Amino acid sequence: MKTPVRIVTAVTALAAICAIGSHRAARAQESAMPPSASSVVKTKVYTSLDPVPRGKEFQVAVVVDIQNGYHMNSHKPLDSYLIPTTLTPQLPAGITLADTVYPPGKNLKFPFSPDKPLNVYTERVTLRLRLSAGDSAVLGDASIPVTLRYQACNNSACLPPVKIPLTVEVKIAAAGTKSKTMHPEIFAASSAK
Amino acid sequence: MSYVKCSWLLCAAALLASGALAACGSSSAKVSNSAAGLQSAPDVTFKNLEGADVSLSSLKGKVVLVNFWATWCDPCRSEIPALIGLQDKFASKGFTMLGVSMDDDGVKTLDPFIHMTKFNVGGEQRIMDYPIVLGTDAITDKFGGLLGMPTSYLISRDGKIAKKYIGVVNEQQVIKDIESQL
Repeated sequence: MKTPVRIVTAVTALAAICAIGSHRAARAQESAMPPSASSVVKTKVYTSLDPVPRGKEFQVAVVVDIQNGYHMNSHKPLDSYLIPTTLTPQLPAGITLADTVYPPGKNLKFPFSPDKPLNVYTERVTLRLRLSAGDSAVLGDASIPVTLRYQACNNSACLPPVKIPLTVEVKIAAAGTKSKTMHPEIFAASSAK
Repeated sequence: MSYVKCSWLLCAAALLASGALAACGSSSAKVSNSAAGLQSAPDVTFKNLEGADVSLSSLKGKVVLVNFWATWCDPCRSEIPALIGLQDKFASKGFTMLGVSMDDDGVKTLDPFIHMTKFNVGGEQRIMDYPIVLGTDAITDKFGGLLGMPTSYLISRDGKIAKKYIGVVNEQQVIKDIESQL
């Protein structure tokens, strides 16, 4: 009975090797699947002053880290049909928006657009809101909802456009209150650009 | 070990091996096929640009390349000339393209795009003249969800998903795949 046992062992080993190979191939295919649109960026929100006295300007920075291999359209893509990156605050009473500052994108070519560059953000981009707290801004803690909208692609496929809700937490203080400059490394660097 | 026990062991090992070999075979180019056989395409009904219903099942008997795309998607636009070429090459042999637009504002964006945008197909300026319908999230859910665009499904004559392509299709590969279904 040694021969049948050897055959069983050999066939079982073949099955095991093939099953492992199949599992690895399946895992490789899974990893080739694109991620969800909302997962290709990570965001961090910073404010420039704490607290923010009434009558003062302050800034909010949204630092966007884009997953390696992906890009998103800049705020001013070169073609009108492309979906731009936007940052939109919903301002509470007494807080006004002076400006939204979008850095310029990079002109890059991709395999699907070898002749025509696209204006895109890659790696890390910092978007800024220039705000001011007016005399009617409510004193105390305030939450400012902000929506980041973008549309990202890799070298061969695009993810659907997505809106990411963010929240900016600030403390509004009386006019003349001393405040501390926060995160100069972010605001000084992005102001210089 | 008795002869009967050995026979059972051999049978079990053979079954295990055949299952694993089938799994190995399915892990090559055909991305979404199950080892046991092809998965049926979902029973979905689209709206065409005139507002009429177009069910996928009504195309049974034809090989169909269902291509999810959007006007804002540059990789999708880049493969349109190849897709027009596929329709030219295979339409008379029982094949059809079916472009499924995922543009949020539907006909408003699509109508001018389809009639005005020209693509270079072998040196000739062509519009997107294969059938286009409107997609919805409910429809993509029935295909198992749409993570990226373009995503295409090659449907066999009997309504089975023969292959799924994520990203821009490789023209030579998709021609081979279509020919294998015709």
